[in-house]
Amino acid sequence: MAVPVIMPKLEMVQETATVIEWLKQEGEHVEKGEPLLVIETSKVTIEVESPASGILAGVRVGPGQVVPVTEVIAYVLQPGEELPEEVPPEATAILPPSAAPAAPPAPTPPAVSSGPPAPSVAATPVARRMAEAHGLDLSTIVGTGPRGEITRADVEAVLSAPSQPTAASRSEKVRATPAARRIARERKVDLSAVTGSGPRGRIQAADVLGAIPTPEAAPAPVATVVPLTGMRRTIAERMTTSYQTAPHITFTVRVDMSGFQEARKRLNARAEATGEARISATALIVKAVAWALKHHPWLNSTLRDEEIHLLPEINVGVAVALKDGLIVPVVHQADRKGVAKIAAEVRDLVVRAREGRLTPADITGGTFTVSNLGPFGIEQFTAIINPPQVAILAVGATQPEPVADEGGQIVVRPMMRMTLSVDHRVVDGATAARFLTDLRDVLEAPALLSW
Amino acid sequence: MLNSRQKRELLRQMYTIRAFEEKAEQLYTLGKIHGTMHLSIGMEASAVGAIAALRPDDLILSTHRGHGHCIAKGADLKLMMAEFMGKETGYCRGRGGSMHIADVEGGNLGANGVVGGGIPIAVGVGLSLKMQKRDQIILCFFGDGAANLGPFHEALNMAAIWKLPVVYVCENNQYAMSFSVKKAFAIERISDRAAAYGMPGVTVDGNDLMAVYQAVSQAVKRARAGEGPTLIENVTYRWRGHSKSDANRYRTREEIEAWKQKCPIKRFRTQLIEEGVLTEEEADQIEQEAYATIDAAVAFAEASPEPTLETIEEGVYV
Amino acid sequence: MRELSYAEAIREALRQEMQRDERVFIIGEDVGVYGGAFGVTLGLVEEFGEERVIDTPISELGIAGAITGAALTGMRPVGEIMFMDFITLASEQLVNQAAKIRFMFGGKAKVPFVLRTPAGSGTGAAAQHSQSLENWFVHIPGLKVVMPSTPYDVKGLLLASIRDDNPIIFIEHKLLYKVKGAVPEEPYTIPLGTAEVKREGRDLTIVATSIMVKRSLEAAEQLAHEDIEVEVVDPRTLKPLDEETIIRSVMKTGRVLIVHEACKTGGYGGELAAIIAGSEAFDYLDAPIVRLAGRDIPIPYNRDLEYHAVPQVENIVEAARQLARGEV
Repeated sequence: MAVPVIMPKLEMVQETATVIEWLKQEGEHVEKGEPLLVIETSKVTIEVESPASGILAGVRVGPGQVVPVTEVIAYVLQPGEELPEEVPPEATAILPPSAAPAAPPAPTPPAVSSGPPAPSVAATPVARRMAEAHGLDLSTIVGTGPRGEITRADVEAVLSAPSQPTAASRSEKVRATPAARRIARERKVDLSAVTGSGPRGRIQAADVLGAIPTPEAAPAPVATVVPLTGMRRTIAERMTTSYQTAPHITFTVRVDMSGFQEARKRLNARAEATGEARISATALIVKAVAWALKHHPWLNSTLRDEEIHLLPEINVGVAVALKDGLIVPVVHQADRKGVAKIAAEVRDLVVRAREGRLTPADITGGTFTVSNLGPFGIEQFTAIINPPQVAILAVGATQPEPVADEGGQIVVRPMMRMTLSVDHRVVDGATAARFLTDLRDVLEAPALLSW
Repeated sequence: MLNSRQKRELLRQMYTIRAFEEKAEQLYTLGKIHGTMHLSIGMEASAVGAIAALRPDDLILSTHRGHGHCIAKGADLKLMMAEFMGKETGYCRGRGGSMHIADVEGGNLGANGVVGGGIPIAVGVGLSLKMQKRDQIILCFFGDGAANLGPFHEALNMAAIWKLPVVYVCENNQYAMSFSVKKAFAIERISDRAAAYGMPGVTVDGNDLMAVYQAVSQAVKRARAGEGPTLIENVTYRWRGHSKSDANRYRTREEIEAWKQKCPIKRFRTQLIEEGVLTEEEADQIEQEAYATIDAAVAFAEASPEPTLETIEEGVYV
Repeated sequence: MRELSYAEAIREALRQEMQRDERVFIIGEDVGVYGGAFGVTLGLVEEFGEERVIDTPISELGIAGAITGAALTGMRPVGEIMFMDFITLASEQLVNQAAKIRFMFGGKAKVPFVLRTPAGSGTGAAAQHSQSLENWFVHIPGLKVVMPSTPYDVKGLLLASIRDDNPIIFIEHKLLYKVKGAVPEEPYTIPLGTAEVKREGRDLTIVATSIMVKRSLEAAEQLAHEDIEVEVVDPRTLKPLDEETIIRSVMKTGRVLIVHEACKTGGYGGELAAIIAGSEAFDYLDAPIVRLAGRDIPIPYNRDLEYHAVPQVENIVEAARQLARGEV
């Protein structure tokens, strides 16, 4: 049976994905689970695996094409099997990428034709040859010869007319510095639409930069310009949406980490003895968060239209900083996993995130996010909720601090501040406070957790 | 003085030069050697006689007409012929050719494509030898044409004021290309110019090997003793044209024939037979052997590889 | 750090290298008791004797031949041609002999000499004692061409040049001889073929040689008050040339002004412009490459005319300002 390859939907809020490249060619044998192609969503660049073993066929989309999720993009066939009928035969070849989305359409004056001149037009052979050589469409030329035949003179008149520039000659007339041309090329700016400020109207780099539409004023011409693309653009859009649509309220508590550190030390001693991997602080926090979420399901929910959905699984995302952005791989069903397993998973996710090897499953389905900037020495910060989740926990650094103990004595304890941001449309202050204090309690006395 | 064995050796050298140049000329005609070439046929006694007066570790600077100098200084004919054919195995890896052939290890600091080009270099070499107290001397060949260049004046003066161990040997072969010495000089003997620099000047019959040898020996002795340079003029004659494109329009057939009668090789051979140094048969044998060695050199050169294009920029800088 | 004049730095380099390497000697006109026409070799004959500081007759070609032959046979001579104009008389030996011997002999010989010579105008010596002829020698494969602009550079480059195994034309500037700057006492070398960014800036690059480096730095200082940040790059050796440093600078600033004293036509600036335009920096050029160079005239005697024959600080300021403002 022909198994369709589908453009996968990887995120709750995702409508399309872009094909980056096919790793297998049409007609090639593929194994189930073997990477078929690389796609880019607004979040990640990932490999799509083959849904079956067989022969790759009916590839309908090529690199650069943006495809709605769930659409069939190819099939895996068994030997001798035909493509399903709904695939039009001409669509079986890899299509050329549709013009790069941001590229302006090339100006095409009516006199320019990419095809051969229509044979029905009456023209002398010389005129026909000349028109062809210059890419002129004979049907747009008025013939002055006998019976309206187009002559050499007619073609020459068109060619010399200043009002009929070809695409090539027109672009040559743009005066621009090499730097301006390079920037226009890189940033997909149509130079003919840019006004030059240099001598004799020459377009300079600053002119091109100024012509790039941005909501703000044009950046200073000397700035290092990093195009807002891929992951950066996604982060920008999602954070803006989140911050603008979800009314954030934040809560901070101080946590005495003595017990936590003690527990972690004990766990690591055991891990060392058994030769297992060490338990990271993040893993232990994820475990505690999962525990707390189980008791406070409103924090583990999402807002869909007019309904609040309390989610059945507790999937804790961990924010991982990358060279040029950040990504949030997910520990699925963290409430059902032991801390050692969580630690191993987190370690594996972080490594693969930095190497760009995360799979779709790794980054989808998160229900709550932990962002730990403690290792960076940040004492306290607030995070923006990762939609469609409703809460995010910002974990600061653990530092020795003087505090009053139960007896009112000043003692120095390892203290950590954590800040919870919640979507006030879903979570009220008291709900958030209860979650946060429970979480604090379990961090201070990890024995409460059933390891 | 030279013993019999040495004299036989000098005869062999002259025959070798003659054989080499005749072969080179033939190969040029066949298109196996390209560019240009300047033959010293008829001038062999000048090269051989002068260099015979040197120690093996002494140095020479040669000229564009330098095949004889190169061979007399002990060059390997195979490497020389390979250089003529532009082969990688040649003395200069095919970069120099006939006109720039050098055997630096063997003490030949190079032929020169520029008339008089070596005369100032000899000053530097002499200075260097003197500063390093190396007990060697530098013998610098040049032609009658070079004696009319400015560098001749600058260099001979410098060599003289610093008493450098240089022997300047002017091979007066009667013509600077087509321009006769009779028209080019207002003096009888080029060696008269030595007086202007305060050095001895000697003119000898350049076709008389022994005369050349004796004159140069004197000069070498003087140079090695730290007494400074000498200018020697070897009066001789080139039988062939200046280069391969010379139609000999500036001289008569009779004149060339007359000089051919004064062949330096025949003269030395006759002399040696008369002295009883060798027999006619032995002389014939030396001659035949000389020609045979050239054939071996040609075979080597022809079998040698061309330089590869990848190496084209090698040697421009150290 | 201790300060020396450019001339003193040269003298110190010569002295240190002659102490270190007995193959090194000085030869030229009036280099002995007279101390050289510009006093550069003053005192050296007293220290090293007439055998190693050799006065010659007025025989430039002879000097060139002497250093060629001596270098060919194991010495490391440092020749001096009193004025660069007179190098014309020596050119046969330099161009036909020294430059080519190594190549012509299949790489089997070397000619390690340095020929020092002062170039440049500004002394009132007019047409036959003021020329900057560096580009003639840049054009000859086998020669290296060095053109230091500071006391520090001149010492390090001279030591590197003497230790180099190739024939080197070492071009000094008469007006720089008295310029002072920090010079370390110990011997040091600056590798040939390394340019230096003498001043960093973001708005435009000036590539300048010899005294024009000094004038460009003065111009850059003035322009800084107008908020124009000029980067000044000194190639230091014209051959071999450190193309990378120049290209990198142009890629940073997008604008380049080339300044040299030699006549513009056929000058080194043309070569630099072609290298830049043909490099990856092309795509970063935001204005035409501009050359500011000596007028195509012999250097005049009249003080005012002489001044205006070659680029001066105000000319550099003006050209750089126009370029930085996008007016070119």
